[in-house]
Amino acid sequence: MLNKNITTLGVAAAILLSAQSGIAQANETPINGTVQSRCIIQTDTAGTFGNPNAYTLTTASADGGENAVIRIDVTLANSYYAEITAPSEFSSSPTLPDQVTWTGDTEVKTVSDSTTMGAYESGKVELGMMDRYDLTATGSTWFKTSSVATMGGNKAFPGGNYTALVQADCIAK
Amino acid sequence: MQKKLLLLLALGFWPSYSYSDSIAPYYGYTGNAITDQSLRWSMGNVLPDGTPGLDIQNVIYGYKIQKETGEWVTVYVQNEFAEGAGEGYIFRERDDWKPGSLAGTEILKAVPVGNLPRALWGDGSIEVEGNGSVTDASVVYTYKVTPCFDPQFDPNCPGYKQPVPEIYEVDLGDVYDAVAEGDSDQLQWDPNEDEQIDDEELSEEELAEKEAEEEKNREERQEEALFEAGRAELFAMALSAAQLKDATQINIRSYTQRTIPGGVYNDTAVLVDNDLPDAKSGLRNGLAQQLLHQQMVAMQYNLTK
Repeated sequence: MLNKNITTLGVAAAILLSAQSGIAQANETPINGTVQSRCIIQTDTAGTFGNPNAYTLTTASADGGENAVIRIDVTLANSYYAEITAPSEFSSSPTLPDQVTWTGDTEVKTVSDSTTMGAYESGKVELGMMDRYDLTATGSTWFKTSSVATMGGNKAFPGGNYTALVQADCIAK
Repeated sequence: MQKKLLLLLALGFWPSYSYSDSIAPYYGYTGNAITDQSLRWSMGNVLPDGTPGLDIQNVIYGYKIQKETGEWVTVYVQNEFAEGAGEGYIFRERDDWKPGSLAGTEILKAVPVGNLPRALWGDGSIEVEGNGSVTDASVVYTYKVTPCFDPQFDPNCPGYKQPVPEIYEVDLGDVYDAVAEGDSDQLQWDPNEDEQIDDEELSEEELAEKEAEEEKNREERQEEALFEAGRAELFAMALSAAQLKDATQINIRSYTQRTIPGGVYNDTAVLVDNDLPDAKSGLRNGLAQQLLHQQMVAMQYNLTK
């Protein structure tokens, strides 16, 4: 009788252990990593608006302005597009009396290698205010962006500070 | 933009090891090597040679290409080897501006050249091949100066050796050797040059003749000496006479030709007495002397008591 009870207890314990080991286990171990961009964008020169007349703001040097210059360094060839968009609105300005008409353009100003980058400008694709460059070579490229803002109805720009932003992106191919 | 690039380069090459200030390598960069439109420059004007341990590390240049879009223009930025340092170019960078590249596009390029000693660098130039030109060119060299290139520059330099002054050993025999032979720079006494005639080798006649000759020479020498002495004496006498003459010719007329006012000068002292008696004190004195004289004479003949 005692032996039977012991046997029964042992079987029950075995079943219990078996049930314990059957519970699902879960664990999540992170794998961390940092990717350094192979395309680095820097502001080389902040642009300046000149004000040749009451209703125009322009970056043309002849009108007292200065083009914005953006530098893009690429360390991995043929992997990125550079998309640079001239401004089409003010990021900050006084309250405007009317709509503003924008024009702008981006050009290659300087390259670090003529052989591989010399044709960047002629090979660019223009999509409205945005210019797309195929960065086929490693090195540095400086892009200059011009911008002209004209107040509608030949109304005068109100006095105050105006800021417009040039958007530059490295788009992986 | 170029200044930023230079700053980045300078920071990149900033020494990460510890040195005392005086011997720590330092870095710098030149001004624009191109000063005119000739696109040629002399390195002597850009970075004068003569600083030991000066190495050029980078060449940074820029220019704008001017060409038709369809043209292929090749531009070389280059430095020849310094004279005697080698043939050809120590640095030559080629830029191909292929068809499609636009006029006015600028290039800015930093070319590391390692650490090439300044002494190897010759004159530089920008050469354009093809139908095009360059404008707004600039060429700048970055360099590093290692003061301890010569370990003796500073006692803190590795490998510095305490200088030991060079003391030249001078062989006094080389300067003057009284007994040296064959040295043409010295006046030497050659005993063979003197007429050493052994008297024993002479005959009696020759000996007598020699003695007579020596006697004659001796007399001549004596005569000559006396003549010279006499001449000197005559000279001294003549000198003395000249001095005496000079002394007697002193002008004393200014003293002798004084005029005295004329007239009669009468005697002012008149003696009244005709007989002048001897002074008694004198008589007494004379008597005393006479007595003393007689006493002395008596002493001579033992007459004194």
